[in-house]
Amino acid sequence: MRKLALLGALVIAGCATVPENTFVVTPELLQQRQLETRRYDGLKEQDLIVASTNVLQDMGFNLENSETKLGVLTASKQRDATNAGEVAAAIFVALLGGGSMAISKDQTIRVSLVVRPVNDSNGHAMSDSHFVRVTFQRIVRRSDNSTYSETLNELELFQDFYERVSKSVFLEAQKI
Amino acid sequence: MKILLPAILVTLALLSGCATTNQRVLDAGDETQLQKRSYQSRTFETANKEKVLRATITTLQDLGFVIDRADMLLGSVSGTKLDGHQVKITVSVRPKGSDRMLVRANAQFNVEPINDPKQYQNFFASLEKSLFLSANAGE
Repeated sequence: MRKLALLGALVIAGCATVPENTFVVTPELLQQRQLETRRYDGLKEQDLIVASTNVLQDMGFNLENSETKLGVLTASKQRDATNAGEVAAAIFVALLGGGSMAISKDQTIRVSLVVRPVNDSNGHAMSDSHFVRVTFQRIVRRSDNSTYSETLNELELFQDFYERVSKSVFLEAQKI
Repeated sequence: MKILLPAILVTLALLSGCATTNQRVLDAGDETQLQKRSYQSRTFETANKEKVLRATITTLQDLGFVIDRADMLLGSVSGTKLDGHQVKITVSVRPKGSDRMLVRANAQFNVEPINDPKQYQNFFASLEKSLFLSANAGE
């Protein structure tokens, strides 16, 4: 068993080469762009960033970095990551005599939000039309201290997020 | 077989142990500084730093990177891509002469530097598309 694990580790280490299209924009990635982007009209870039910061704070994120000159915000938060399904599976495995199975313990959720002006037909940046694009990652720590990481890409997440931004933009526009 | 596997492991450990801390810090490999710079850099025919930086951010986002930080004055953008593995990249944009911008990128994959010029070529090809400008050889 131990030998097998060692061999496995060796094989995995051998496999870890940079994926061929790490820096190629694939059609799947373009689809992801659609999912992550919304357009907002009638607001200056600064007001849109302020509205977005408020949404991130609503969601409990701590601001990490910002460069308002480039419309960039990054934020993160630490949260619990246990989920009922995994716990049930772990209990089931333990009952079958499979020993203790590592389950998700906690996670760091990272977000970056970028505001950029929409270009008009002459290629000039418009002052009151912008794209907001948000991306989420999470790094999950398991009960055995191993980690795994992923980029989030569920449609519902982005729909819900942009609903909040729209609300915030409305509040910002009304100066409430 | 019983001895072979531990033997391989020990040899591997010894081999990787050969690189000293200084070599790791300096990333001193077979290539010269100039070689590295040449495949990691391109110039673009524009004097607009902000435009190049914003296009860089867009490109990184298109590639699935989360932006870690950006700095307009320094002209730098860093991002991380997590997809079972980790890729980190830093891109810097600075003026070259009065009408061109020099873009330089360096990236790492998990705990290894990315030294394959092809990867950088791909990155700059993606950047070209969002900048609508063609990349010229750097440095």
